[in-house]
Amino acid sequence: MFRKILIANRGEIALRIIWACRELGIRTVAVHSTADTDSLHVKFADEEVCIGPPANKDSYLNISAVISAAEITGAEAIHPGYGFLAESAHFAEVCRECGLTFIGPDPDVIRMMGEKSEARRTMKTAGVPTLPGSEGLVEGAEDAHSIAERVGYPVLIKAAAGGGGRGMRIVQTPEELEPLFDAARTEAGSAFGVPDVYIEKFLAEPRHIEFQVMGDTHGNLVHLFERECSIQRRHQKLVEESPSTALDEDLRGRMAAAALKAAHAARYVNAGTVEFLLGPDGEFFFIEMNTRIQVEHAVTEMVTGIDLIKEQIRVAAGEPISFTQDDVVSRGHAIECRINAEDPETHRPSPGRIQAFHLPGGPGVRVDTACYAEAVIPPYYDSMIAKVIAHGNTRGESILRMRRALESFVVEGIKTNVALQQRIVTDEDFVRGRFSTRFLERYQPESREVGTT
Amino acid sequence: MDHKELRELIEIISRSNFSSFELEREGFKLKLVKDDGVTIAAPAISHPAPTSALPVEPRKEASGAAPAPVETSAADEGLVEVASPIVGTYYEAPSPGADPFVKIGGRVGKGQVLCIVEAMKLMNEIESEIDAEVVEILASNGQPVEFGEPLFKLRPLSG
Repeated sequence: MFRKILIANRGEIALRIIWACRELGIRTVAVHSTADTDSLHVKFADEEVCIGPPANKDSYLNISAVISAAEITGAEAIHPGYGFLAESAHFAEVCRECGLTFIGPDPDVIRMMGEKSEARRTMKTAGVPTLPGSEGLVEGAEDAHSIAERVGYPVLIKAAAGGGGRGMRIVQTPEELEPLFDAARTEAGSAFGVPDVYIEKFLAEPRHIEFQVMGDTHGNLVHLFERECSIQRRHQKLVEESPSTALDEDLRGRMAAAALKAAHAARYVNAGTVEFLLGPDGEFFFIEMNTRIQVEHAVTEMVTGIDLIKEQIRVAAGEPISFTQDDVVSRGHAIECRINAEDPETHRPSPGRIQAFHLPGGPGVRVDTACYAEAVIPPYYDSMIAKVIAHGNTRGESILRMRRALESFVVEGIKTNVALQQRIVTDEDFVRGRFSTRFLERYQPESREVGTT
Repeated sequence: MDHKELRELIEIISRSNFSSFELEREGFKLKLVKDDGVTIAAPAISHPAPTSALPVEPRKEASGAAPAPVETSAADEGLVEVASPIVGTYYEAPSPGADPFVKIGGRVGKGQVLCIVEAMKLMNEIESEIDAEVVEILASNGQPVEFGEPLFKLRPLSG
C-alpha cells in the first residue's frame, strides 16, 4: 500500500480523497493555486504545495508542476479526482514515466474511451448496443433513405461539423426525409461551411442511465448498479439517484451485463462509469465510458455501503477488489442534489465570499463540500460548492429527507441553485419518476433544444 | 494575425459603430476600445505564454521558465524579493561542490543566474531581472520550494 498520495485536484473531491487516505493510514499532499491558499483541502492535507497562479493551465492543469510537487514531497501515487487531469492519457503516461502510480485506468484505455468514434467502434465489436446510425457521412438522399429504413424512424440528421442545433433535423416519416435532408445540408453548409451530415436514431425522451464498474489488476470486474442522471441542464447533471425508477430487474440485469461487457472489452482497471441512453421502450444504447471517479459516486456509496475512493486506491496499489459481485447489494434509495454557486435566473456563476453557512444533517443525510463560512468561492473554477446526498429506505423517504435537508441548507453572500433543487424534488413528475433528459426544459423554456445527449 | 491584418481590422472597427471589439484565438487575444468614437485606444495585445507541454527533452537554457516574479516588500524599504516561478528543488550552485551562483553582499547584473530550481529533472535557471546587491538568501541548498516562495532579497543598484 502507498505511504503518501498527492491529490491533483481541489474542492470537495480533494477533501473526499483526503478522508479516504486518512482512513487507510496514507499521508496526503494537497496541491493548490495561489487562489486556493485558504481552501480546506490545503488545511486538512498532511502537506501542501503551491503549484502556480490561479489559471487552471498554470496550476491544476500544469503537468510538470503537479509531477514536481509529487517529487519534492516523495508522494508515490497521484489521485486525479474528476475534471482537470483525470482523463488526460498524457498525464497518466507522464506519471508512469516518472515512477508515480496514476490512480485510474491505463493511459491507453483513457485515450481509447476519449476518442468517441473509436470507443463506439470498440463497443460495437464487443456486442454492446450503440445508437444505430450511418457509418460516417451520408452521401445522398437515396443513401439517407436506406439508412433511415434500417435504423427505423424517427431519425435525426446532424451536421458533421455541427453543434448548437444548427443543421439538425428530426425526421418522423419517409415522406419528410428528402426535403429535411436537403434543408439540413443547406443549413449545415451555410452555418459551418461544409454540408456534410450523418444520421442516427432519434430518441425523443431518453433517460440517462449509467453503471458504476470497478476492475482490478487480477482480472476481477464488478458492477455496482446504476445511477439515474436524467435531470440535467444543458448536459450538466443536477440530480442523480439510485436505483432508477425506469429499470425493472430484467432490464437492470441486461444493462449491467452490457456495462460489464463494455468494461471487459477495454480490459478496464479501477473505477469507471458506462453511460447509456435508455429509450421509452426499454432499448438502451452505449454513449460513452468515463474513465474516472464521478461527481455522483456518493449515490452509489450510499446504497451499496462501499467506499469507492478507498477501493480505487487499493486497486491502484495492486490489491484485488475487496468484495465480490455477490457482496454488492443495493439497499434503500439515494438521491444527490448538486449545489452550484450560480445566479438562479441567468445560471451564471456567482463567485464571492460566503457569509452565513449552515449545512444540513440528521439521519441519512451526507454533504460533501469544501465550503465554510467566510470561504471565498474563486471565479476561476467549477461552480459546484456542495453535494447533498439523502439516503432512505425507500425513494419516498430519500425524497423527504432531501427536501428537509435543502430547507436547512443556508448559504448567504453568494447565489445558489438551492431553490431550483427544491422545486425539482417537489415536482410531481419527479416524485412519480416520470421524466427524461428533457425534464428541466420546463423550467427553462428558452433552452428547448433539438436532439438527444 | 500579421501587422497588415491588424491594421485593416483596426480600420474596420474604427469606421464601425462598435465602441469596443474583442477577438480571442488560441494563444492570442486582442481588445480594441474606441475613445469617444473617434480615436482608438492603444490595442492591448497579449500573447499569453504557450501552455508548455511536458518538457521531456532537456533545454539548453532556462529561457522557457517564467521570469521570477519580483515584488517590492514593504517591510524592507527598497528591497526587491525574488520568488520562485515554479515548484521544485532549489540549488544554490550549478553542480554539487561548485561555488554558489551568488553570495550575500555580492552584486548581480540583470540576466545573471541567481540559482537553479529543478522540476522534473529539468534545471531551470532563475535570473535576476535587475542590477542589484544580494541582501538575503532565503532558501537553502536542496530545499523544496513552492510556486511564489521567496528565494532572495535584492537591493536595486541605482544608476
